[in-house]
Amino acid sequence: MAATVTASTLSSAASLSIRTKPRLSIPKPIKSFLYSKSPQFLSLSSHPTTITRAQSSDIDTSFFDNVNPEDVIVFDPPSPPEDFVPPPSFDEGPIETEEEIAAAYEELYGPAFSGESILGNDVYVMDSKVKKTTGFGSKGKKEKIRDGFEERVVQVRRVTKVVKGGKQLHFRAIVVVGNKQGQVGVGVGKAKEVIAAVLKSAVNARRNIVTVPMTKYSTFPHRSEGDYGAAKVMLRPASPGTGVIAGGAVRIVLEMAGVENALGKQIGSKNALNNARATVVAVLKMRQFRDVARERGIPMEELWK
Amino acid sequence: MIRRYWNINLEEMMKAGVHFGHGTRKWNPRMAPYISAKRKGIHITNLTRTARFLSEACDLVFDAASRRKQFLIVGTKNKAADSVARAAIRARCHYVNKKWLGGILTNWSTTETRLQKFRDLRMEQKTGRLNRLPKGDAARLKRQLTHLQTYLGGIKYMTGLPDIVIIVDQQEEYTALRECMTLGIPTICLIDTNCDPDLADISIPTNDDAIASIRLILNKLVFAICEGHSSYIRNP
Repeated sequence: MAATVTASTLSSAASLSIRTKPRLSIPKPIKSFLYSKSPQFLSLSSHPTTITRAQSSDIDTSFFDNVNPEDVIVFDPPSPPEDFVPPPSFDEGPIETEEEIAAAYEELYGPAFSGESILGNDVYVMDSKVKKTTGFGSKGKKEKIRDGFEERVVQVRRVTKVVKGGKQLHFRAIVVVGNKQGQVGVGVGKAKEVIAAVLKSAVNARRNIVTVPMTKYSTFPHRSEGDYGAAKVMLRPASPGTGVIAGGAVRIVLEMAGVENALGKQIGSKNALNNARATVVAVLKMRQFRDVARERGIPMEELWK
Repeated sequence: MIRRYWNINLEEMMKAGVHFGHGTRKWNPRMAPYISAKRKGIHITNLTRTARFLSEACDLVFDAASRRKQFLIVGTKNKAADSVARAAIRARCHYVNKKWLGGILTNWSTTETRLQKFRDLRMEQKTGRLNRLPKGDAARLKRQLTHLQTYLGGIKYMTGLPDIVIIVDQQEEYTALRECMTLGIPTICLIDTNCDPDLADISIPTNDDAIASIRLILNKLVFAICEGHSSYIRNP
């Protein structure tokens, strides 16, 4: 299972516009008060703004991916080299002192978090690497972030949890993240402040990004329907010059993907989050003509008959 | 990938009992291709397949080690904990042999803060500052230190996410396996007849109950890692 799209590196960030269009379902007289609070006193729980994914794309597991367990698998090891001495098991063999072990580890990995340095390296070497991600106080976490994805807030809602002492209010933000070249992601985040919720949902959106198959006229290859929960969305390609004709969440997702001509309809529930997810499902079902023709082994002209 | 000789012989594996599975009632039908027979209410795995998979896994591990990838060995069964620690120390890899705290990999930034605390406590212990504090504080810090040592002692040299994770028992370490899957880290898993072979990237059907069989497999893998490291040293 190889990793899918990884977040791109910290290149020069395009200008991001967090155009907050909060569509609140409940009238909130408190809202202006909240916005006047300075953002430095946000919750200092350092949620990571960079997504760590393992870079293991060069480990070749092709044998295991392609092996069919039903076949007869033979075990024919190559012959041992002449002076092969079977090595001692890890229990036997010379007992190493702690210092030797620490020295060997330090040679390989540096002193990392062990608290002692036998080879004379700086013990606090990890501090400089870790402190960068969890910045404190003064500049907070780098709000205007990185990697060429534009964010748009679909909906910010105030949600309540009733406890014995009263009502606990949180904000739930739904954000769609996309570069205009066919990659979108939908994310949800909840926090006690609107801005924190928007940040969390942006991080979440960057974790689940999908690619939209697009033709050269910035539209879909074919119709498709997708549903998520009770929301059903129908997407249909359109000729160039049409623009995106869809409502609410669907329109935002398609615009962030860079699709310029499409028709979309929300059939079923009108819930924003579910409709955004349903468009993602619909888009995942689409295939490019080229790929289908290659899989079926027929020329592309057959598909258009 | 070149196939090398890893000193895997079938008699040795039979003596260690690698081919025994779990009881017949507890099997996972997805393991059907790997099961060769049923004897006395226990499934017997196909030893040639195991040997082949093990040699391919060793090749892969050797290749990765010669490219300086980082490994993590996870084994929390109390029977196997000791041998996991020793094997990992021998191979100079990271290991987790006490309980796998949820989120070690997926919540890596929090794990890093814990590791930093561990390192600070160790520094304080070494410089002797703990003796100058009042008894209560010193006792509390010492307890924290032992706590961190048991759970995070094996990963204190880990600077980032590992590149390959070796898991000893899939049923026990299901959380670890799921974390690696969400992060996309390739995993080598020792599978028994009640486990799912499709979850891990590389699954080696073995017996995860007998200490001898776990030790044998770990031996081979550790040998491969050591060879990989030395081959890196010879020609970087």
